[in-house]
Amino acid sequence: MDKLETLARLEETPLSILMRESGIAFFSSLTLHSLGMAFVVGINFAVALRLIGFAPRIEIAALSRFYVIHWYAAALIFISGTALLLAYPAKALTNPVFYIKLCAVVIALLISRRIQSTFSNKPEVSIDSVSIKLAYLSIALWVITLTAGRFLAYTHSTLLASRFY
Amino acid sequence: MIDFLLNFSQTTGIYTFMNSSWGWPIAESIHFFGLCLLIGTVGLFDLRMMGFANEISLSELHRLIPIGVVGYLLNVITGTMFLSTAPDQYLYNPAVQSKLFFMLIAGINMMFFYATTAAEVKSEARASRVILRAKIMAAISLSCWCAVIVCGRLITYYRPPYHWCLWC
Repeated sequence: MDKLETLARLEETPLSILMRESGIAFFSSLTLHSLGMAFVVGINFAVALRLIGFAPRIEIAALSRFYVIHWYAAALIFISGTALLLAYPAKALTNPVFYIKLCAVVIALLISRRIQSTFSNKPEVSIDSVSIKLAYLSIALWVITLTAGRFLAYTHSTLLASRFY
Repeated sequence: MIDFLLNFSQTTGIYTFMNSSWGWPIAESIHFFGLCLLIGTVGLFDLRMMGFANEISLSELHRLIPIGVVGYLLNVITGTMFLSTAPDQYLYNPAVQSKLFFMLIAGINMMFFYATTAAEVKSEARASRVILRAKIMAAISLSCWCAVIVCGRLITYYRPPYHWCLWC
């Protein structure tokens, strides 16, 4: 069975059909994905800007407390993203832009984890050059993620599903 | 109104850019980038006022707000590009109208905050006196910006003429 046939079979599962044909299921997933993304990217931007040198009197250890919300939002992104992927698996999994987004998200989240473990509950730790470089990289990766996410809708080459929104 | 917006879009070159191969997704990416800046600055300030991460000084966290203003300006510019390029799809769309309503509430709430509460909130010594009022304003602000994101996402769902607004 080739890749496209596997994806077509996946699109014929009841869950995939539900995700595609129920406006509530699809658009609630899309909405929750955007909300989660706004909080994850927003919190990462705030931490990165602080590491770069904005608002230098804010303790980075204190700012790291927002990572609690960040990880809940990241879980929301993962769940809603999986639901959206189930709706149109062939459309996403045959598009290289999807893999660019996925790689950027994974690396950016690993950087978040690294920054959190370096500074969380450690007010005595000072900002070193590695952290500043990671902050710039984090901003770049989240910009790539956002851009790739938007371009996904415009760059697909395969669309097997019969009903579209 | 539609003619005015389309004329504006065409004479400024926005229409040509938006109808180029990548004009629309580039503007959408910048629009969402602006929203993330807003949530990362104004949103975190709201969360702090609501009692989260109490050890952070409100006046220090407020220094990030100008970055949120930059994000807001990016949203206004790209939002105008969407609206002027396809006014019939936006003006009569209930999701857009709801989005603008929540932006208006957020704006009024912000003006009320800066007129009555901001100075006391930023002064550590007086912050405790306005804690309840500040919390309510922060909750309104954060809810409005989340509603703006939700309505923004629903624009494609409530696309006219299938979902015409009630009063058009």
